[in-house]
Amino acid sequence: MSSVKVANVHRIYGKARVLDDVSFTAPEGQVVALLGPSGSGKSTILRLIAGLEPLDGGEIYLGGELVSGGGASTPTEERRIGMVFQDYSLFPHLTAGANVAFGLAKLGRAERDETALNWLDRVGLKHRANAYPHELSGGEQQRVALARALAPRPRAILLDEPFSGLDAVLRAELRDATLATLAEAGTTTLFVTHDAEDALQAADRIVILRAGRVLQEGTPREAYDTPASLDAAAALGPVNVFGGSVANGAVTTPFGPVNASHLPDASSAKVAVRAEALTLTPGNDARVVAVRPHGAHDLVRIEAQGVTWRALTPPHASLGETVSVAIQSAGAFAFSA
Amino acid sequence: MTLAATPARTRAPRLDGVTVAAALATLVCATPAIAVIALALISDGGAEFGGALIREGAMGTFGLVLAGGTGAIVFGATTAWLVTLCRFPGRGIFEWLLVVPLAAPSYILAYAYASMTWAGGAAVPVQGFGGAAFIYAIGLYPYVYLAARAAFASQSVCALEAARMLGASPLRVFWQVALPLARPGIAAGGALACMEIAADYGAAQHFGLSTLSTAVFRAWYAHGSPGLALQISAVLLVAAMVFLLVERGARGRAAYSGGSARWRPLPRYQLNAVAGALAAVFCGALIVFGALLPLMWLARLALLHANVQDIVQPFVNSLALSASGAAITLGLAAAIAVAARRATTPLGKSPLFAAGMGYAAPGAVIALGALSLFGLAREAGLVGGLGAALSLAALFWTYAARFASAGVGPIDAGLARLSTGLDASARTLGAGPWRRFAEIDLPIAAPSLAAAALILFVEILKELPATLILRPFNFDTLAVKAYSYASDERLLEAAAPSLLIFLAGIAPIIILARSIGRGRAGVTS
Repeated sequence: MSSVKVANVHRIYGKARVLDDVSFTAPEGQVVALLGPSGSGKSTILRLIAGLEPLDGGEIYLGGELVSGGGASTPTEERRIGMVFQDYSLFPHLTAGANVAFGLAKLGRAERDETALNWLDRVGLKHRANAYPHELSGGEQQRVALARALAPRPRAILLDEPFSGLDAVLRAELRDATLATLAEAGTTTLFVTHDAEDALQAADRIVILRAGRVLQEGTPREAYDTPASLDAAAALGPVNVFGGSVANGAVTTPFGPVNASHLPDASSAKVAVRAEALTLTPGNDARVVAVRPHGAHDLVRIEAQGVTWRALTPPHASLGETVSVAIQSAGAFAFSA
Repeated sequence: MTLAATPARTRAPRLDGVTVAAALATLVCATPAIAVIALALISDGGAEFGGALIREGAMGTFGLVLAGGTGAIVFGATTAWLVTLCRFPGRGIFEWLLVVPLAAPSYILAYAYASMTWAGGAAVPVQGFGGAAFIYAIGLYPYVYLAARAAFASQSVCALEAARMLGASPLRVFWQVALPLARPGIAAGGALACMEIAADYGAAQHFGLSTLSTAVFRAWYAHGSPGLALQISAVLLVAAMVFLLVERGARGRAAYSGGSARWRPLPRYQLNAVAGALAAVFCGALIVFGALLPLMWLARLALLHANVQDIVQPFVNSLALSASGAAITLGLAAAIAVAARRATTPLGKSPLFAAGMGYAAPGAVIALGALSLFGLAREAGLVGGLGAALSLAALFWTYAARFASAGVGPIDAGLARLSTGLDASARTLGAGPWRRFAEIDLPIAAPSLAAAALILFVEILKELPATLILRPFNFDTLAVKAYSYASDERLLEAAAPSLLIFLAGIAPIIILARSIGRGRAGVTS
């Protein structure tokens, strides 16, 4: 296993700049999530690391070895990078066992079959070794693809939207199982997702991407608690945005003040308040205009002075009620506008 | 070394092997037809009987297309409706058996029924205009059946259920909902059947009918007028293009969503005992008259009267000609399929259109085009006299131009299974280009390539008019042998070569029937 370092990488398709000076590091043995909406260039990063596409600037290092850029270009087949594709791309003419064994060509036949079975066992599919891909369910296909990618003991493994296309219950289950397998293998992992919860739950580090640029890189805690920008804050969950000017080190919103002591007085600012950072108690500050269940919480729309915000709170408030709003400072951020 | 299509990114067109091969394929497919039109315009067919010959031929072709085409559409559409939307005894078996009459080309059916009539074995004599129309209807209805079946199967269940809930009887649902919705599919299949009728030479010739196809031969051989033959060919070609455009247009409008993964089984009408029995008898009769009866009759005659020594050489010739022709055509078809898959511009799709044009054109027309081009080359001193080698070259050219399109479909189906993702997967697993080609691309595409090769082999084996015109002197194939026996009214001896062609024709039908069966196997209800 190796670290993966992406340094000042650029990628251009025609006139579109898909990746613009992207840099981050995936430390050895850690799980890193590339989080961003579609079109943010996150899948392209995986393809560049795997060597499936050339880059138009910058360098990529695997365990300190330059593999792309600066005149170097190690062919994909010599990089020893495992990849799980979004559509899994299992070979349709090979059984699950033969799919996993495909990357083990250097081993002798007996050892190869044993290793393949061993990996299928690790993902709980030993009994399906002789099944063809079309006979497997979506979740089973994903696990075979994971076993196939891990079996040759790659230096790092890349997963492209590994949990998309699965239903919600299966998704959480599969995510935990995949993480357990990856942790056991101890392989450096990069996975691409557009789902903030996946990134927060599964990754040791998060790289937030938008329109081909890195907005922020850090641990989930850092990214959640100290967002580098409004967009970075919005990438990890619903936020309420309010524009105003700084007075006495704070921006006053219809729902209360937000600390802005790091910004000069009288400058214009934008504040972002996480929906879960609003606490509602009986009072007269705002009116409840909509209540929707959202898991264990309610997503409550509150209105004051013509401004509507969303609050994620335990289910207390009811429609038409007036409430008092408290903004928890840990989930409220001010940025200069 | 990979067959997988490269992603369609904005990229300057590359002048690589595939592009060159596709351009060559386009040229091969399109030039004979273009030559026919061009030469017809400049040649003076001018014989006084020319106009009469064309008029008479056009009338004959029109009549046969009308009668045979209507029959094919009626048979094809009703059977398609029965097997997709009704439930009756034997429905599942009929669903794939109904394509079997495609195995025999029209002229083979004509010889079988003519010998039956001659031997007094047919209750109604099959001869003349009515006989030909019957043979076209019974032999070509599967084209309509296949297209209409796809159209019925892809129909919105809701529209049909809504009609039923509004109290419409099965027949009313058929007339007022299902049929209008399936009309584009039926039109596409009907156009294909009409294209075949217009192109047919052997059956019309045997029943002594004047059609544009037989007129081409009469102008060429009886009147010795290549110019007139080219003019008639041009008329025939225009008719074929009209059918091709109808087919393409109708297919464009037909929503072929049958391949969708979320396929919902259609609720079928349970026909009552009498109606069910009638439906089974109807489907059964088409299969019996379109395939089973002529097949058994030919087998019986062949066993009794075959002159084995006479057909050994034609048999070997047919195998050699069909195998080499199929190999050449497969190469062209593969180039067209790969190029079409990669193409992002209308120009890139032009090889597909050229191949479609060649497929629509009757064999005699393409053969005449190829022959004229070789004739021009000889006049220009580019090639020597039209010896056996040149004549074979012209024949292979004709086969390629005529049948490349028939190979493109199956090859494309194989290419569709090779995603760029599979190639990328194999690369991340350390497989080099050769291993990817040998262990991924080839095994995945192989069944489709084999199917394409088989289809082309049989198409060439069955081809009659072009082979008649272009074969080297004294070079008989099974089709030519059957034709010449039948022309000499030696129908008993024609049975053996006819039977062999019939049997060969069954192989691709099995592939077709299996794909229909697979379509059913995927349905979970």
